[in-house]
Amino acid sequence: MKELTLELALKMIEAAERWARDIAGSPCSIAVVDKAGAVIAVHRMDGAGMATTDIALEKAWTSVAFKMPTLMGSRWLDPRNIGKLLGDHAMGMIGRGKGRLCFIPGGIPVTNEENEVIGGIGCSGVPAGVGDISDTSVSQAGVTALYE
Amino acid sequence: MMNLKLAKTILSIAVSNAKEIERVFSIALVDENGWLVALHRMDGAPIPTAEIARDKAWTAAVFRRPSSEVSVYGDPGALGFGLNAQNWNDRLTTIPGGLPIWDGDSMIGAIGACGATPEEDVSFCQKIIDEIRSRQDNLKI
Repeated sequence: MKELTLELALKMIEAAERWARDIAGSPCSIAVVDKAGAVIAVHRMDGAGMATTDIALEKAWTSVAFKMPTLMGSRWLDPRNIGKLLGDHAMGMIGRGKGRLCFIPGGIPVTNEENEVIGGIGCSGVPAGVGDISDTSVSQAGVTALYE
Repeated sequence: MMNLKLAKTILSIAVSNAKEIERVFSIALVDENGWLVALHRMDGAPIPTAEIARDKAWTAAVFRRPSSEVSVYGDPGALGFGLNAQNWNDRLTTIPGGLPIWDGDSMIGAIGACGATPEEDVSFCQKIIDEIRSRQDNLKI
């Protein structure tokens, strides 16, 4: 797999939508971006909030920009961690990236066999949760679909 | 009402149409309030086309007229001239290529396409709308 195409992006989104509908149980928006962070496809499920498309895109962009899940960024900015981590200046990232940085869990980078980032997927709309009922698990379902 | 099922159907028609005329487009579908429902950027379409397609669809939806006609509000000779039709907000665009989708008297949403010349964008959108109209019975729009 060299790069994400529209066809692959739609395959990921279809799988993520199934997970959102059947397991997470919340309508949400799912966005897939390429290795430049540029949008390939966005879908907003019926009933998902109107702002979720933009947030899903921002999560996908951030996961590509940092080459790591946005869950990691959310840990850096967790108020319970501020000041405790040695050399932690994560607060400085707020407002960076022309407003596109998003440190809410739900964005995951997509990697190829050589472990290079070839894109990202982001989901927004599932109420804050853990495990199977979360934005991250919806995105994860999309990434898994690439290898089916 | 635009829903994801209808949006997906329209987008699959659009992508197969674009492949027929050998062009790559970004296609955006918004609901009746201008909010994005689905957006596809075809392989090879330049990056900014995605955002421009969305701008066109938004403009067509909120003004309930083709995005190319919005420039009439910026005509200094028009009664009540005052809307800065080019830079009123960061979504508004007067570039042709956004068309509202009507179901009888009610607008169900809008489509925006970007990727070729403005004339091609408009005829591409119009062709898709005509095609969904011809399939109206099984789409229930």
